[in-house]
Amino acid sequence: MARVVVDPLTRIEGHLRVECEVQDNKIVDAWVAGTLYRGMETILLDRSPEDAFYVSQRICGVCPISHSHASAQATEDALGITIPEGGRLVRNLLEAAQYLHSHILWFYHLTALDYVSPINALSANIADTYALAEAAGTRVNDFGAVAARLTAFAENGQLSILTGHYWDHPGYALPPELDLIATSHYLEALEMQAVANEIVAIIAGKFSHPMTSVPGGTAFVPTVEKLDDILFRFIRVKEFIDTALIPDTLAIAPFILDATTYGAGTGNFLSWGVFEKSSRVAEERYLPRGFAQGLAAETVSPDDVTEDVAHAWYSSGTGLNPAQGETVAKFTEYNMDDFPGESDKYSWGKAVRCKGLSTESGPLARMVVAYLAEKGGQDLTGGATGVRTPAALIDSTLEALGVAGKPEVLVSLLGRVAARNLEAAYVADLALVWINELIEALRGGDVKFWEAAETNNGSGVGAWEAPRGSVAHWIGVKGGKIDHYQIVAPTTWNTAPRDDNGVRGPLEEALIGAPVADPERPLEVLRIGHSFDP
Amino acid sequence: MAQEAHGAIYDLLAVRGVSRRDFLKYCSYVAAMLGLSEAAAPQIAAAVEKGAKLKPALWINGGSCTGCTESMAQVDSPDVATVVLEILSINAFETIMAAAGHDAEKNIADTVAAGGYLLIYEGSVMTGEDGNTLLVNGHKGTDILEEVAAGADAILAVGACAVDGGWVYAHPNPAKAIGVQSFLDTVNIKTPVVNLPCCPTSPEWIVAMVVQWLLVAEDDPATFLAKTKLRTRTYRDTVTGRDVTLNYPEYVIGSTIHDNCPRRGHFENGHFVTEFGSEEEAKGYCLYKVGCKGPQTFTQCPITRWNRSVSWCVQSGAPCIGCGGLNWVDNNTPFFKRLSSMQMGDTLGNVQPGSVAAVVGGVAAAALVAHGLGMKAAGRIGPDGPPVETAKAYDRKRMAKKGGDK
Amino acid sequence: MAGSAHYREAHPLVFVITHWINLICMIMLAFSGFYIHYPFFDGFMGVARGMHFVAMYVILINLTFRIIAAFFVKTAVDLGSREVDTDIKNWLPQEKNRHQFFETVKYYLFLRKEAVISAKYGSLQKIAYLATVPLTYLMAYTGFAIYGPTMNWGFFAGGVDMVGGPMNMRIIHYFMMWVFIVFTMIHAYLANVYNFSPSKIIFAWKETEH
Repeated sequence: MARVVVDPLTRIEGHLRVECEVQDNKIVDAWVAGTLYRGMETILLDRSPEDAFYVSQRICGVCPISHSHASAQATEDALGITIPEGGRLVRNLLEAAQYLHSHILWFYHLTALDYVSPINALSANIADTYALAEAAGTRVNDFGAVAARLTAFAENGQLSILTGHYWDHPGYALPPELDLIATSHYLEALEMQAVANEIVAIIAGKFSHPMTSVPGGTAFVPTVEKLDDILFRFIRVKEFIDTALIPDTLAIAPFILDATTYGAGTGNFLSWGVFEKSSRVAEERYLPRGFAQGLAAETVSPDDVTEDVAHAWYSSGTGLNPAQGETVAKFTEYNMDDFPGESDKYSWGKAVRCKGLSTESGPLARMVVAYLAEKGGQDLTGGATGVRTPAALIDSTLEALGVAGKPEVLVSLLGRVAARNLEAAYVADLALVWINELIEALRGGDVKFWEAAETNNGSGVGAWEAPRGSVAHWIGVKGGKIDHYQIVAPTTWNTAPRDDNGVRGPLEEALIGAPVADPERPLEVLRIGHSFDP
Repeated sequence: MAQEAHGAIYDLLAVRGVSRRDFLKYCSYVAAMLGLSEAAAPQIAAAVEKGAKLKPALWINGGSCTGCTESMAQVDSPDVATVVLEILSINAFETIMAAAGHDAEKNIADTVAAGGYLLIYEGSVMTGEDGNTLLVNGHKGTDILEEVAAGADAILAVGACAVDGGWVYAHPNPAKAIGVQSFLDTVNIKTPVVNLPCCPTSPEWIVAMVVQWLLVAEDDPATFLAKTKLRTRTYRDTVTGRDVTLNYPEYVIGSTIHDNCPRRGHFENGHFVTEFGSEEEAKGYCLYKVGCKGPQTFTQCPITRWNRSVSWCVQSGAPCIGCGGLNWVDNNTPFFKRLSSMQMGDTLGNVQPGSVAAVVGGVAAAALVAHGLGMKAAGRIGPDGPPVETAKAYDRKRMAKKGGDK
Repeated sequence: MAGSAHYREAHPLVFVITHWINLICMIMLAFSGFYIHYPFFDGFMGVARGMHFVAMYVILINLTFRIIAAFFVKTAVDLGSREVDTDIKNWLPQEKNRHQFFETVKYYLFLRKEAVISAKYGSLQKIAYLATVPLTYLMAYTGFAIYGPTMNWGFFAGGVDMVGGPMNMRIIHYFMMWVFIVFTMIHAYLANVYNFSPSKIIFAWKETEH
């Protein structure tokens, strides 16, 4: 028996602690703790709904756009606003830009270093690297220049952000040539995530913390010159996804095939749905709303959500739907040595549950829900041409991995990694559809972007999807002032602690049964943790 | 020797397709941002390319949302890879470092032990629940900051949260968040702090200050503050109850957004956007009437702009929400109103100054009308006016007591 | 007050003119100030700001001149009197105002019947007229403290820090406008509550016998 603690779990947004009990090189128990409390919901009280749009997104600097959209939708739901078509399309484009930014950044900069060793890349043969890149169908760079840069960097003896890591871990099993390819794409992806964010900046002023998707629609009015700036950036990012992100995923996958055998999690999947269609029906979104249990689709509503605090440092009520939710902080202590014992609270995150179940959200959940919907006969894209749909992407990937017709393989660590990158491809295709739709709408004239509210009382919920999971904001407005606000942030789902019944959260569950080759150097814990992009 | 080192970096840059010319151009751009003369460019180039040893740095996240890290990833020139590979050795950078857990903690401890490093701190300092609102491997966030701050050559407090607690500090501040300078004052750590405002802060400002520090540190890190053009702001921290004086680079907070705004012409012309997404917005009219806080926000946003200078808030059609100011949420909400609301105690809620003024004015007017009717009713208004006393009441009393006035 | 004659000695021509300047400037400042606060029609911001600054400089010069003139110009010592003395003596509290503050308040609150003995200006009036001097300068100070070109001067920046930032300074500036508005309402009401003779002399320089 050994205790493995990873705190801080780095390469994530925020602060997370993972503690595992390891027996015979397998994880037998795990606790995941959010270790930061800031009190957003309390701060929003008594302010105007549009203030919530601006302030609540600041809960997360990596997915602020999704939070801002959830907040705006909550207000629109409460005050009875239907945003106009122009607003819908601009928001979809803005959200898409963030998805592409986030997925590229996640794969190359947050999780790749769990599989790729830039140090190992130093021993790559340059000619072989070109050959391998060609064989894998991935993007060719000036690999010699990258190798020279890496060499100069490494010879300096200071490894900067690569300092102090166990690069000699046996888990770093890629050939050095593939390490070099991935490292060169790591550097190029730094540029690409920034290009995606330039789209955000054009539409919403800046990233992080966008400014324009105010309740009622958008404050951004596209002009011809701005539209082509957006269009050609999307094309550039899409090209990178098709020529680097997807082929790299497929090139690395064969070396980590054991990752299909663990990291499955709870197998309950939630998607609130994201990317609005004209119908404004959440179940018809481009990535639809839905719930899945054991790859069987179900319907779902925000009313199905409850939050337990038996294991979280709050003294407020437990088992409440956020529409009635409360947040009163009360720290006790962190002590997992005798769990479950006297003091068995261990996280600043509430245990959020859907239909009472420990539920995973994020790209894997969205792709599962979309896949099931498509297989059930739903037309996700409304007949848009040139779009690779989730089912098409998943089926072709399963085929490439030699497991055609076995979608259950996806419910694993590798599946979670792949789902995110496949989703990026789908969203990149859709972005081009929307921008053309917007151009057509503008050409037809008479396209509106913003609608005023007619009342200042009501309560509502905005349930939407951030790149890393399901996000929902609940708001109550009375006399133009917020009198109730609750947020269920995307990562709250995946990094939830145990609920009142002692059932583990999705990440805790995903860790169970995972191998740990060397408890001193728990690389597998990093991989599983990062697969959720917490 | 120096010549050789120069040669090495130019070879390296050449490999990456960067010419000596491009490099010096970048350096003169940094010089301009710092308010130095162009003549300083070769000197900056020398500081940046000091081949042999990179200066160590730590990027520590407090009560942060990682937005400033994200912002840093959007830096224009030099790109972020250059910053982390060839300008600084950032031995701990929570969001992008390879190491995790004990290894990450060891990187921090080793850097602190070696000393001579730059600390970049993102996020607010969490003092609530006795400091337990931020825990990293059982250590309070405040303890970690104390440890890394004491040994640092200098600290860059990046983003509104690190400056004064940011949005987390906003009323009622349930997690008792404060800024870096305010916290260091309470534990009596004198390490120089330079604050970079906004939510998130601009990566260009961070890089400019890093270069400035490299320039100064070559010489004597202790002179960092003295050699940097600064401007100070003072505020009263409601958590610590102390007056806190903050240093900002003058180039960042030297003038208001309003004064540098490309829409300023429309402001003077009296052309305003009154509705979002309108025809007026398409024409680029001024956002003053929808609550733009540019007139009282001191940052360089319209000049530096965001995301590699492609745009910034006002350019995209949104009013400035004043995130570069102190206690920016309380001081600027409601964001779409000209004036912020006043928090009158915990129960009265937010009140707009205009509503208070209307009540005061209305009550005064009503009181005067009532008083006028009273004057009439009391018979005081007539051709001869009211009867006037023959002696002051005071004197009458004294007369009664002492038998006469004076 | 009713019953007293209003002679030109009470308000010599020079003060009639400074009073007119005050009135015009105040109207211009209030109007342009409200416009700057919230532009309620289009196309006037540049003019409004120009108006605001010009009227502000004029009223400051006028106020300063008015204070200096008080030491040189002679005004009537009492209501209905042609006897004159240096104006500043009549402006500052005098023997006749002593012990009359609370009595004056009681009179206006209908807590006593007879009007009180007073100098040319009653206790309340003198407090109000003296207070307008620092209030006007303070108003100018708060204005400069939110005005781009001057807000960074140490003298003003210190004040901004003290009140907790430029937004608070703006709110103070806004509220002080209302102090002047309420002052003007009360001033106009009390001056003219018995009859309009005070207005006739101060605006038209026209004497009346009651």
